[in-house]
Amino acid sequence: MTAVLHDPVHPIPAPLIETKRLILRGPLARDFEPARDFMRDPLRTRYVGGPVEDDFSAWRVFMAVAGHWMWRGYGFWTVEDRASGRPAGRVGMIYHFPDWPEPELGWHVFERFEGKGIAFEAAMAVREHCARIMGLDRPISQIHPDNARSRALAERMGAEVEREAEMHGDPVLIYRHPSVLEVAA
Amino acid sequence: MTLPATPTPVNSAPMTAIPEIETERLILRPYRLSDFDTFAACNMDDSRMRWIGGAQSRHGAWQSFAAAMGQWALRGYGVWAVERKDTGALAGRTGVVHAESWPEPELGWVFNAGHEGLGLAHEAALAARDHAARHFGLNPIISQIHPENARSRALAERMGAVVERETTLLGDPCLIYRHPRLDVPAPGREVAA
Repeated sequence: MTAVLHDPVHPIPAPLIETKRLILRGPLARDFEPARDFMRDPLRTRYVGGPVEDDFSAWRVFMAVAGHWMWRGYGFWTVEDRASGRPAGRVGMIYHFPDWPEPELGWHVFERFEGKGIAFEAAMAVREHCARIMGLDRPISQIHPDNARSRALAERMGAEVEREAEMHGDPVLIYRHPSVLEVAA
Repeated sequence: MTLPATPTPVNSAPMTAIPEIETERLILRPYRLSDFDTFAACNMDDSRMRWIGGAQSRHGAWQSFAAAMGQWALRGYGVWAVERKDTGALAGRTGVVHAESWPEPELGWVFNAGHEGLGLAHEAALAARDHAARHFGLNPIISQIHPENARSRALAERMGAVVERETTLLGDPCLIYRHPRLDVPAPGREVAA
């Protein structure tokens, strides 16, 4: 078996973002296993489309995360926990073509890294970076109405429900984040 | 493990690192975002996808489209869009795919409705195979083909590939064809294999 993944051969344009406890970086090969475990976990994917059906599907989505950067110039950063050096989740700006209404700030926290404020710290840093550097200010976050944890995080970030919508047959609330640039001005 | 250097400015065109190949009638080139509708139409068509995993939803097609680009980044090789020189139409795709659980990288091809029966897949796959041997160090390469996929089997055999063994792929029966070893120089540098 040579299912070994390699680190990027062609550049993925993901700038490095550093916060107090975290390093946000582009996807690397060693992110595959924790990302796959997240994607196959029915509990953690309950409000984000459900688990993928097999490792092949997980691989395809993992490759698509890298490819999203190349198509859009932005995407999901891998959130690395400085203390352990391990991938703790992924947070970033996602604009899936063609069925996303606009770029969305999203977050996935891997098992054993929940409840530490990691998603908040990473999402704040990404929101700031995307507004200042990438021209993506006031993004949305699409959140299932029953996803209390993500709603609490969005609200802690100052986002407010703008409208109700559907994503792939599931109800979602479209949260709108406040402007980073106007606050700063 | 070193963290990746990230000097690439946002919204640059990183896909320029993907090579282009010209043949008599075709250009093998990186995908463009504007190819997506044609790509999706193929992946949503059960007759096209019958032997290679079945029809996808449009979102599934987007994931495959994005993944095709991501694989270039993470593996250093991947799938080209095949464009016809005469009309500029996107005729299909060919290139190297190495998914998780694949025994090794494989040469694959999918051609769109209206571009079959012209030998275009043969022409494109030969060029991709040659490039994979010279530049990716994949020589001799395999192709994984469903036993009932008569057209793809005929193409593999026309290219000189022979069945090496029978296996299963994602739950379906699969023949592993081995292409002949090409007498071409190996690449000077090691690539992801």
